[in-house]
Amino acid sequence: MTRLLGSAHIEVLAREESVRGVLVRTVIKQSEFADEQELELLENSLQLLLKRFQAMDGEAS
Amino acid sequence: MILRSIELESFGRFRGQTVEFRRGLNLVIGPNEAGKSTIAEAVPAVLFGTDCLERFKPWGRNVCSASLFFEGRGHTVEVKRNLLTDEVELVEKDDLYHVRSQFSGKAPFRGRSASCREYRELLEKLIGVADEKLFRATYFFGHHPQSWSGDELALKLRTLVSGTAEADYAEILDTLLDEHFQLTRSNPWGRDKQRDREYETVCQQLSEQGDEGAVPIFVEIDNPARDDSQVALEEEISALTGELEFERQEYEKGQRYIERFRQQADINEEKAEPPAKVEPVKEESLDTKKSLAKKLTTAGLPPSLPPQLPEVLSAAAEIRQELAALQQPFSILHGREKKIPQIPWMVIGCLLVLFVALAAVAFWQPFFKTPLLTAVGVCSVALLAWASWRQINRNKILEQCRKERGLLEQKKGVAQQRQAELSERCDALGLPSSAVDLVRLQKLVMTHRTLLDQYWSATESDDPGIVKGAELVDRQPTSPDSTVSVVEKDLLKDDGAAEELRQLEARLADFAANLQAKETRLEELQAQLKSGRHTPGAAVEATSQQGPLVQEISVKSAMSPLQRRKNDLEDRIVVLRKSINLLADAVDEFSRSHLVTLNAEAGKMFGKITEGRYTEIKLDENMAPSIQVDGRRWTPVDHFSRGTVDAIYLALRMALAKVRDDGRSLPLMLDDPFVHLDQKRLAKTLNLVDLASADGQLILFSHNLDLGKRAARERWHVVPLDGDAVNTTTDEGGEHAGQLHLL
Repeated sequence: MTRLLGSAHIEVLAREESVRGVLVRTVIKQSEFADEQELELLENSLQLLLKRFQAMDGEAS
Repeated sequence: MILRSIELESFGRFRGQTVEFRRGLNLVIGPNEAGKSTIAEAVPAVLFGTDCLERFKPWGRNVCSASLFFEGRGHTVEVKRNLLTDEVELVEKDDLYHVRSQFSGKAPFRGRSASCREYRELLEKLIGVADEKLFRATYFFGHHPQSWSGDELALKLRTLVSGTAEADYAEILDTLLDEHFQLTRSNPWGRDKQRDREYETVCQQLSEQGDEGAVPIFVEIDNPARDDSQVALEEEISALTGELEFERQEYEKGQRYIERFRQQADINEEKAEPPAKVEPVKEESLDTKKSLAKKLTTAGLPPSLPPQLPEVLSAAAEIRQELAALQQPFSILHGREKKIPQIPWMVIGCLLVLFVALAAVAFWQPFFKTPLLTAVGVCSVALLAWASWRQINRNKILEQCRKERGLLEQKKGVAQQRQAELSERCDALGLPSSAVDLVRLQKLVMTHRTLLDQYWSATESDDPGIVKGAELVDRQPTSPDSTVSVVEKDLLKDDGAAEELRQLEARLADFAANLQAKETRLEELQAQLKSGRHTPGAAVEATSQQGPLVQEISVKSAMSPLQRRKNDLEDRIVVLRKSINLLADAVDEFSRSHLVTLNAEAGKMFGKITEGRYTEIKLDENMAPSIQVDGRRWTPVDHFSRGTVDAIYLALRMALAKVRDDGRSLPLMLDDPFVHLDQKRLAKTLNLVDLASADGQLILFSHNLDLGKRAARERWHVVPLDGDAVNTTTDEGGEHAGQLHLL
């Protein structure tokens, strides 16, 4: 399964000095210590938020 | 990264022309309709495409293309776009002209194809922005909109720091909260929790159908039903923990007592004294002691008070008196310190200024010059001498007070140290350590001193080993089921040491088993509290950082549509909660890490524009700016004039560009942003713009010819547009036609 976290797009966003950049960095940091279930939740949440930030297509259901 | 040049092959009114820029401040100047905006618009049009092609397509020609050349640290980026076909060529090269990355393909303005995404990702990586609106919001600064209010400005700033041009983070947070609010009444963020929402309705419908999975997993923490059980559980755990703590101590004491008893029994056996002689004495002594203990208990005194009690109580009373006696000197000292008069240095300063003014007047007027000057001088010296003398006296008194306070503090410290030692001693003897309890005990001891003396003498005559053991056990308050009490009773009742010992051990074993059972129960309760599993058939888990507890049920393999809907809603609620928490954390983090810098930078720039009149700008958590007036009060920007608001916005934008600069930032493009500024502020703003451009690149578009004169003076890079041709003028480029000072 393709992971959103770890993709080049996310890495680029994480470099931003904006609220969006801080958000992506926070999620990446939390994902380092997350189990599979928590990781899925983080990915879904990030997808939802990035959609709202107009940073990607689609939205977590 | 700087924009090195724009090649306008066929774009608007330009054909085969190149506009070059330099690091620092660039001024594109020309009359109306000269093509300033066309050049400015060429940048986003080439990077992202455009949906108003007709504006840039040359009349009567079927070609519309332009190229941009960017130069960064160790690499260059060239982007060429045919606006008619949206064919894009992007090439990134290093210093040795080796291609590092490239893209060639279609990338239309609103394209969502794979190639378009690839291009956008590359753009994001290279220049830090892949969205046209965001580019405009971040790097474009024009004279629009026409009016700012504080809220609009805050909104704009929130959008800028959000990293998106579409919505600001506060708006996103609000929409997420609203969505969560619509789904369930279980809301960790307050608001209406009474009315059932979709989730509760679905759960209720499931419940009516008799479905086992109808139990809602999201139950608000302040839900009375859940709260009661939760509180009851916590209370039970708390009570059990306290009980166990006490019983563990009792158990250890019992163990020690039995050990001592066993040792004593061994000693007695070794001594092998005739039991016939000892037993009556012991029996008699035990009877006496028992009756005295009963009397002491009736009098309100525990029978296990140690013989050192009077000494301890006397020491405690002495320390109390000492501490109380220290209160008075402290209060007197405080009063003295308050009475020391302040030296009116402000008045003295004013008087001195007055004297100086008088001296100046006396100096310039023809009569009595010398006497007047002498009088003023004498008065000044006398005033200064008087003030200095008062100040020295004040310092002396203050120093004396400080010394006295130090001595008193020392005494107080010694008394407190003694009190602490006494408390430790009380603890060791099993006595209460609080002052109130000790006073109460002292009164009781004074009343029943004779009885106590009799008890202590009886105890001393008794076997010291057993007494010591009993004392150790009796120090704690006795409880009905206390092993210690039982042990003591058994000791008094039974004669045979072996029999006693056996009974004591049996009692202690029972006690240990009881203790073990309670510990197991406590562990169970703690596990229940942790997992929230105190309702049969349901589980509770903590999911969010706000701490609402949710109950979890097992998912059935065969689910009804209603059940599926419930599960979908639960998933959505969990994702929403997590998203809200993540975003709120990110906003907090951004505020902590960036707002201070942003405020400082913006304040510095704004101070320069306003010539130091306003030097502090503060953005609150909603990015609403306020300006500090007179170095004291903060005033919202709404209260200032249009020009000031424009200036503050410019300062914030430039500060933001500086704060956000990560080495990939594009030049800031200013399209006549100074139309509302007066001449004075315009000059200051230009100074600021000049200063800000020193670290990067700034392209200023203007029709103001006065700016051209200044550009020539300040040696800015100037691109004059005369309506027919584009010329590049540099400070060294005297050879270029159209140099501004010649215009």
